[in-house]
Amino acid sequence: MSVVEPQGGSQAQVGTVEPAAALDVRDLEVTFHRRGRDLPVLKGVTLRIEPGEAYGLVGESGCGKTTLAMAALRYLAGNGTVDAGKVLVEGRDVSTLSKEALRKWRGEAVAMVYQDPAAALSPAMRIGDQVAEVFRYHEGLPKAEALKRAREGLRRVALPDPDATMRRYPFELSGGQQQRVVIAMALAVNPHLLVLDEPTTGLDATVEAEILDLIEELRGRIHASILLITHNLGLVARLCERVGVLYAGRLVEEGPAREIFTDPRHPYTMGLLRCVPKFGMNKTDAALQTIPGTLPALGEPLEGCVYSARCPMAKPVCTRREPDLYGWPGDGGPTGRAEAEAMPADPAAYSPHHASPVGESARHARCYFSAEVAEMPHMTPVLATSLEARGATAGDVLQIGDLSRTFKDGRKKLTAVSDVSLNLRRGETFGLVGESGSGKTTLAKCVTGLIAPDSGTVTFEGNQLRATAGRRSQDALRAIQMVFQNPDSTLNPAWSTRAILTRAVRKLGSGGSVRAKVDKLSADVRVEPRFLAQKPTDLSGGQKQRIAIARAFAGDPTLVVCDEPASALDVSVQASILNLLVELQTNEQVSYVFISHDLAVVRYISDRIGVMYLAELIEVGSAEEVFNPPHHPYTEALLSSIPKLQFEDEQQRIPLRGTMPSLSEPPSGCRFHTRCHRFLGDICVEQEPPLQEPAHGHTYKCHIPPQELLAAQATTEAVTPTGG
Amino acid sequence: MAATGATPDRQMEELQADAAASAEQRRQRRFIISSLFRTPTFLVGLAVVVFWITMALFSTHVTQSPTTPSGAILSAPDGSHWFGTDDLGRDVFARTMAGARTVLIIAPLATVLALLWGAIVGLVAGFYRGLTDDIIMRIVDAFLALPIIITSILIISLLGRSYAILILVIGALFTPVVSRTIRSAVIGEREREYVMAARLRGERSAFVMAREILPNITQPIIVEGTVRLGYAVFTAATLSFLGFGLEPPSPDWGLVIATERGVLQSSPWVVLFPALALASLVVAVNLMADGLTSVFSK
Repeated sequence: MSVVEPQGGSQAQVGTVEPAAALDVRDLEVTFHRRGRDLPVLKGVTLRIEPGEAYGLVGESGCGKTTLAMAALRYLAGNGTVDAGKVLVEGRDVSTLSKEALRKWRGEAVAMVYQDPAAALSPAMRIGDQVAEVFRYHEGLPKAEALKRAREGLRRVALPDPDATMRRYPFELSGGQQQRVVIAMALAVNPHLLVLDEPTTGLDATVEAEILDLIEELRGRIHASILLITHNLGLVARLCERVGVLYAGRLVEEGPAREIFTDPRHPYTMGLLRCVPKFGMNKTDAALQTIPGTLPALGEPLEGCVYSARCPMAKPVCTRREPDLYGWPGDGGPTGRAEAEAMPADPAAYSPHHASPVGESARHARCYFSAEVAEMPHMTPVLATSLEARGATAGDVLQIGDLSRTFKDGRKKLTAVSDVSLNLRRGETFGLVGESGSGKTTLAKCVTGLIAPDSGTVTFEGNQLRATAGRRSQDALRAIQMVFQNPDSTLNPAWSTRAILTRAVRKLGSGGSVRAKVDKLSADVRVEPRFLAQKPTDLSGGQKQRIAIARAFAGDPTLVVCDEPASALDVSVQASILNLLVELQTNEQVSYVFISHDLAVVRYISDRIGVMYLAELIEVGSAEEVFNPPHHPYTEALLSSIPKLQFEDEQQRIPLRGTMPSLSEPPSGCRFHTRCHRFLGDICVEQEPPLQEPAHGHTYKCHIPPQELLAAQATTEAVTPTGG
Repeated sequence: MAATGATPDRQMEELQADAAASAEQRRQRRFIISSLFRTPTFLVGLAVVVFWITMALFSTHVTQSPTTPSGAILSAPDGSHWFGTDDLGRDVFARTMAGARTVLIIAPLATVLALLWGAIVGLVAGFYRGLTDDIIMRIVDAFLALPIIITSILIISLLGRSYAILILVIGALFTPVVSRTIRSAVIGEREREYVMAARLRGERSAFVMAREILPNITQPIIVEGTVRLGYAVFTAATLSFLGFGLEPPSPDWGLVIATERGVLQSSPWVVLFPALALASLVVAVNLMADGLTSVFSK
């Protein structure tokens, strides 16, 4: 573990000789200028990454994480300016580099991996040429030599069959493979500093796990320092030694990852950690913790501590003067608090305060009350909503029978949903999980009528529904509504929020005062009335999603299909959206089909769960049953791939071999046999697996009978050696 | 930063917020306008266009008569005839200024017509997609293959010439290009989730197109309209030049250039000034289009 050498609060120390840090950011202030306004994004950030160290930067979106990385590499967009502070990379001030030196430096010493690998690769160039270009450009190698090095590079990131990959174009690779190529290009220059900006955010959990394994494994060999930017705390817990928590352009806590995550000393860190659903937690156990309020808008003036407006522990002194980054453990907090309280009531003296950490400790927190964070009051009342209380036993509300849907892609036929049958009870939540491309969304859209199935039936309350929404009766439309994934496109940007809800109530509502209903809906989803006059562009992501939920509930629906309703949101907002859905279900007796790739979320909100793989529903059962052995080997692999926050039990990951086969040519026999870690032999290749029923209502499709599967899965989980 | 909670007077609060929201919208609009006024290309274009509109409206009140002779025949520019006189002794300055009128009637109206038809065709094709789209776009492709000038000449020869027919013909011939632009904007919008939400609400297609999608594609429509306006000025002048526009003694630029080109060698001012006027208007409209594009993409 590296020793943190703080810069100290005084400017006098700057000249002293220290080992050059891989990245040394001092008092950095960055402002963006947008549509005639100045928006300060970073308001003085100081952080230091030692050579060879992995540093995680976390915080909600809009905190300034990516801006920090961009400023560090001098990649700020044209409307962003560095107003104060500096960035030293290996002792060199980045802002003084000439254009040529900058180009050379970026090529030789630093590398960046972005969130969207597809956007980082040129679609018109073969993979081999793209990777080789790095060597030709930066090292001036001749073509043949560069291609050889490119092949080595691709082998290093464990791409199967590098020779074949070299000849491919980016679109012929999966998202995970593309990200491997991007990483190979980043590592090609042997960087001293590798910046990873949400490197796995767009990827499935299984692919994410592979990429993490790769980064972890590479760390042992490349000796690069890493700056990992992510909102996923589990990722940081796995990869980083130290972590910094950024809030509203200020670093609020910093220290060794394990200590920060097990014993946070800033209320914001504590809040973030409490928002993440604990694995295996269910909505009947407790409501999720949330962080009240929203991130202050850019440019909004803040008094004192940047977090005070949302902090459950905030005291009057917190808005008097901003706390420093006090060392922990230590008495910096109380001392600072006493100083602040002794200050005259002069607003000019309040804030901002120092960016740099104070004292020599290994960890710091920008809070006067760090000692009390462990006992921070819980914000959400506990909700108890058992299935029985919701009347979920009152029979099936929806039945899907042998539903199939095939899309045409040129001459190829892609079967997105293949013979899926399932039923849903009143008041129940049915969770649908599986990797992207497994057919979850297509199935959901067949239920709502946005996509017409090729064959099969959708029966709702005993009546078979017409295939498309356009042909369904207004009553059927009212009863089945949908909440979409993308908060930015779910509401018409040209309409005011009130107009959106009013229209929904007019079309779907059942008489009565439209205005009263709109007010009730917005109150139910806790959107303050002042936001009803606004256009969606003026709302936060969470507020938009709340309005979208209110819209779906306009006609008092019986079934709401939620397609990743919280995936695009930050953890704190996600928690409040999930709580809202649970609360609405308790009050309105609504059933949900809930799609998510986040297994902890699905586990939390669902009563029953269905697992999809390659267009087939391969396992169905209660949430409890599906998440515990015996379960389908695919489910087992999915579950093992989630990065967890707990440090105690080092879990063993079950790597899924290869990539998902094409939907146009699904494997014979069991569709999962090409990637299964419990592959039996020819039987899996030749015969379609039978439906096994380990318990009433719990079924899975596999050749291994429940007893054997239980025995096998119980052993792996018991005898798991540490590490992967 | 007020904590969430029950508010006693929702109405009042909402009214205040309403004011705040419209203030924000006003601020945005002000920003767009002020950026436009700080974009040199747009400003230059606008100044020239405003100049020609003023001339088209009022020049006859201040200049000499554009249609009756007022001096010697083909006299060179001097103090009393700034741009000289033409072969009938009419003041070229007066004629050049008044010549803006016909173009500025035909081109904008034809553009509006093209936008209207193009919006309908583009919305229908882009919204329904599938077979409807295939059929409409093949027809649009066929129309795009027609040479605009030759087709207009053909139609005008058939129907006769008048302001109305010129406007209709140019509008119709510009419709395919406009509909392509609008169709691609519609295709981008129609996959958005709010359109799916509208379908799940049981909205009619016409409502979705007109009320949900159209308000969100106004910027590409404005830019396309400005670009088309430039072409319409050009096309109207060309038709006049070829003798399919208005008849003498109209001071229309295209017509003047066509009828007076015989004296180009001996008295170039007769043709030069209308030609410069025409060029200045076309360039100015295109400058405005460039300015709009750059501000909208900010």
